[in-house]
Amino acid sequence: MLAYRQGDAGAFETLYGRHKGPLYRYVLRSLRERAQAEELYQEIWMRVIEARGRYTVQAKFTTWLYAIAHHRLVDHWRKRGLQLVDLEGADTAAHRAYEPEPRAEGREDLRRLAAALAALPEAQRETFLLHEEAGMTLAEIAAATGTNEEAAKSRLRYARASLRKAMHDG
Amino acid sequence: MMAEQERDEEVSASYHALGSEEPSAALDAAILAAARRRRLHWKGPVSIAAVLVLAVGVTLRMQRERPDAEPVVLAPQVMETPPPASPARELARPVQRAADAASARAAAPAAQARSRGESAAKPAEDALAPEAWLERIVELRKAGRAWEADESFAAFKRKFPDYRIPDAMLGRVAPAQ
Repeated sequence: MLAYRQGDAGAFETLYGRHKGPLYRYVLRSLRERAQAEELYQEIWMRVIEARGRYTVQAKFTTWLYAIAHHRLVDHWRKRGLQLVDLEGADTAAHRAYEPEPRAEGREDLRRLAAALAALPEAQRETFLLHEEAGMTLAEIAAATGTNEEAAKSRLRYARASLRKAMHDG
Repeated sequence: MMAEQERDEEVSASYHALGSEEPSAALDAAILAAARRRRLHWKGPVSIAAVLVLAVGVTLRMQRERPDAEPVVLAPQVMETPPPASPARELARPVQRAADAASARAAAPAAQARSRGESAAKPAEDALAPEAWLERIVELRKAGRAWEADESFAAFKRKFPDYRIPDAMLGRVAPAQ
């Protein structure tokens, strides 16, 4: 990122190539609506480009990138009158449609996992996606989402429990 | 503990079996093009800085040739003009700015006198060692003179393209966007 900030466009391509897949899936599986996800995904990268001068080595690039993504998602939910709230243990109905990937077809447990992921409270799903897609530690997740490690740990634990239950309850 | 770890790994493996969607090639291309465009926007400030350096050089030469004359400095509006809005205007502005500088020198002695304290130091910038130049940029930023700092930074990069700015210093001198 520092190289890009100093004018090295190739450095941005390297960064982009490294992070595009995980970030895209983080956004897509958070929103579950491809057109919206693509728009938000693009907005996040535009923000990265615009804010490159403010990046410092004090923050790992991954944490910085997903902090931007988190804020964009929060803005998105706010516009829609929703909030990233903790509903630990709450019985959230699977009221949203989610289309699993073709690879999940024929595997009922994966279909249930996809549905359960879509039904997770936003904060739990976000924590799970940051851990699985971005490979972030609890400390990094806490830094990117503006919470503390204990809360991140709790969210991840609840998310995993819900997903595991869904997979085996078929 | 071990059983819990195994259960977590099972969830993780199943999650990754869902698939690995990627952005479309068109989306990739749009973002990469935007990143390249932002980089190209540096050319405007750099060319403006080049004109300023040239103007400063001419000014210094004039002073040396006429040691008894009133010191001549650039008018403040030359230093504080906001960033250009379009590439076409970026190309046109350096010429206009040089003309502005010339007319300002002739027509605004009072303004020159007021700004002497700020701008008189500017001509020496080009002669500074890299470390001292960077400190000058830091001072400009602290004083809220962001556009001058941006121009100075661009001029610095032009004069010392291979100079490795320490990370800590880079955060203090680089443009905010």
